[in-house]
Amino acid sequence: MDTIFVGGGTPTRLTPAQLERLLSVIRIHFPLAAGGEWTVEANPGTLDADKSDVLAAGGVNRVSLGAQSFQPRLLAALERNHNPEDVPRALDLIRPRFPFWSFDLIFGVPGSTPADWSEDLRIALSLDPSHLSCYGLVYEKGTALWKQREAGLVTPVEEDFEVEMYTETIDVLANAGLSMYEISNFARPGHESRHNLVYWANDAYFGVGLGAARYLEGVRSINTRDLQAYLKRVEAGGDPTGPSETLGPEERARETATLMLRRTQAGLDRAEFELKTGFAIDELSRAAIAKHVRGGLLEDDGLRLRLTRQGVFLADTVLCDLL
Amino acid sequence: MAFDPKFIRNFSIVAHIDHGKSTLADQLLLQSGAISQREFREQLLDDMDLERERGITIKARAVAINYTLEGQLYELNLIDTPGHVDFNYEVSRSLAACEGAILLVDCTQGVQAQTVANAYLAINGNLSIVPVLNKIDMQAARPDDVKEELFNTLGVNPDEVLACSAKTGEGVGEIFKAIIARVPHPAGNPSAPLRALIFDSKFDDYQGVVTYVRVVDGHLKVGQKIRLMAGGTTYEVTGLGRFRPHEVACEELGVGQVGYVTANIKQLADVRIGDTMTEHPRGAESPLPGYQEPVQVVYCGLFPATHNQFEDLRTALQKLALNDCSFTFEPETSDALGFGFRCGFLGMLHMEIVQQRLERESNLFLVQTAPNVTYEILTKRNEVLHIANPTRIPDAGDIEEFREPMARVNFILPSDCIGAIMQLCEDRRGTYIKTEYMTPTRAILSYELPLAEMIYDLYDKLKSATRGYGTMDYELIGYRADELCRLDILVAGEKVDALSIVVHKAHADRRGRRLVKKLRAEIGRHQFEVAIQAAIGSRVVARETISALRKNVTAKCYGGDVSRKRKLLEKQKEGKKRMKQVGNVEISQEAFLSVLDDGDE
Repeated sequence: MDTIFVGGGTPTRLTPAQLERLLSVIRIHFPLAAGGEWTVEANPGTLDADKSDVLAAGGVNRVSLGAQSFQPRLLAALERNHNPEDVPRALDLIRPRFPFWSFDLIFGVPGSTPADWSEDLRIALSLDPSHLSCYGLVYEKGTALWKQREAGLVTPVEEDFEVEMYTETIDVLANAGLSMYEISNFARPGHESRHNLVYWANDAYFGVGLGAARYLEGVRSINTRDLQAYLKRVEAGGDPTGPSETLGPEERARETATLMLRRTQAGLDRAEFELKTGFAIDELSRAAIAKHVRGGLLEDDGLRLRLTRQGVFLADTVLCDLL
Repeated sequence: MAFDPKFIRNFSIVAHIDHGKSTLADQLLLQSGAISQREFREQLLDDMDLERERGITIKARAVAINYTLEGQLYELNLIDTPGHVDFNYEVSRSLAACEGAILLVDCTQGVQAQTVANAYLAINGNLSIVPVLNKIDMQAARPDDVKEELFNTLGVNPDEVLACSAKTGEGVGEIFKAIIARVPHPAGNPSAPLRALIFDSKFDDYQGVVTYVRVVDGHLKVGQKIRLMAGGTTYEVTGLGRFRPHEVACEELGVGQVGYVTANIKQLADVRIGDTMTEHPRGAESPLPGYQEPVQVVYCGLFPATHNQFEDLRTALQKLALNDCSFTFEPETSDALGFGFRCGFLGMLHMEIVQQRLERESNLFLVQTAPNVTYEILTKRNEVLHIANPTRIPDAGDIEEFREPMARVNFILPSDCIGAIMQLCEDRRGTYIKTEYMTPTRAILSYELPLAEMIYDLYDKLKSATRGYGTMDYELIGYRADELCRLDILVAGEKVDALSIVVHKAHADRRGRRLVKKLRAEIGRHQFEVAIQAAIGSRVVARETISALRKNVTAKCYGGDVSRKRKLLEKQKEGKKRMKQVGNVEISQEAFLSVLDDGDE
């Protein structure tokens, strides 16, 4: 494997012994290639020295820490059970053991102000990360926040504030040497998440475990999210795959375009796109490209299309026209 | 040998919508043995999907029923008619083929507006009326009240009123007897040259045009040469038949008989409904009196949502016109919407049905402009113009007199709702005519209203103001001059011709303010600020601004998110399908229609 990502939020809830077993199973079935990237997600509240040792000894070389915020009231709003102090403490465990690490932050949490976010960014940079993910809060259908918003219990942050927060993120991180390489991801050169770049190139990946997604030979499928059903099927030697989706060649090409353009530096390279999909992007979306280049949301140097600064803020407006 | 006309009865059922006409028709077929219980299904006569969904009979049909009474075989031809006010003209042409009509009234609801309107059509056509109360098995039935209403509105003798339940079949036998006893038999001359009234037609992919006729004089035979008297064209009869209710071919149709004719007629436009079919070369001297031509009262622009579908839309309209010759269409160009068609309809329901059928049958996405009426304009140069498109209305300086079509509207409603409906009519520039009481609790209220003020939502407003008990009917009474003007809408500084409307000068400012507010809500945000203005000539009467869209981006998109994320983007894209690009601004279908609804602040 070139890259492995153990995610789902809380692998560090496992005991050291369980973690060790998980890693050894992965090593048997999916050995990592030389120079490969192996990331494990960690929760600041549950990571300790023993678990860190197990991860490092097991071959993991990158940790992604779910920090989310340094403000106790915003962590509460996000229903996270760790404290702000847990983040530097966890990083003290991570730094000496892993060559690569990153943490996540969320802006636009209900009740937050641009001042809160400036403070979060300041604290984040004081920890000297080489990679950061900063997400504008999304109200996902089915989540607690979504239900609270529907019930009128929380009020989303005003759009102008969100814009201000996102703008500051891009500028402040760039000044600190972390440049935006995807809509929500920032890194020093060479520290980008190689695993996630696979998704944005629309390349293939395996997926193992409850609710895991995979994309193999043009088929997207996802394992059942029902733990009982999952166990029953796996233990019976069966296939835990739930719904799957196969797109036609053109739809797949269009989807590839919307993913590639999320890469704010690499963008969509015409030659790479055609090689990968068999379609010329200009044949698929000439009018949409022209419209958004004219509107200042896309830049086109003849070889490569990229979202402009304004285009990043209105990415969905551009991407939906490419479908 | 043709059937002896003495034993033929040709009749229709006229009723207000939903009073059970189709069910009674089915029941008549069932009890006469024309269909078996197994074949008996609801709304048997309605075979278009759309009709079924809406429970409305649109195209008239004719069914021949055999019925034996006291040892004598009778042939009863039931000619079905539509019940909705939009299709009044179809009612009149069906009635012209009959000598009698069952006037069917739901006795839980009583006499309604179209009961009266359709009854008058029948009475004016000299038809014998057989009044029948339906739904007498229902608890809410109030037969005595309804008999009183029939007497007060139409002078119907209460002793002559029959009662039935079309659902259970109770009382239906009496209806057969009454038809035979009260409806005169056809009185034509079997040896005179053929005269057959064409009362409907439809297009069939295999047989070409199928015409529905009622033979008045002479007879029709397979192989006979015929001539359409108004059209002057000649054909040879290739097929004859009746509906029983399924098509059954026959060799001959004699005096008084009703059936269908095929004669290798290529397109529907070749047959004029109301024309007389005669034989050739020996023709009748004079045609039968024709009847009312369809009158288009509502117009709107239909434009393909994507530019390159103009020809597809034309093809779709032509195809639809093969089956419905009551709507009109002609090419139209709009600066905002590109190439499309201005279409004329019999009413709002008709417009809606045509639009749905176009989209359903041709896989087209359409942008429709707000419906409007035809205006008559006397210019300063003394020309009279008829304009069905607000964009074409000349500048105010060139107009001597601005006239609009007026309608005489009759509302039938509970007496305690009169105040609310009078207020509704006053708000819409109505002129009060009179109030008549059918019973102490139910009244007929008459108003003259500008057609433009009633086409869109007057019916819905009436329904809500009368808790569903009010009904209405209208007839056009000509043009009247008023202080009218064209209100234009500018989006981002550009005039959008398809959004122009005609308003009364006294209401123009208020209307303009309300309209820009609605457009502000309907036009999506763009990456720049968009100004919306309402103007009369060069005078801006209202302005609103749509703030710029500054952020529209999904933050997270990893392996497990790709499908869901793509579906969200597809949804955004779907919303744009019915959008039209006007300058740099995308305007939705809803926005084009929002100019209509100005009822609520």
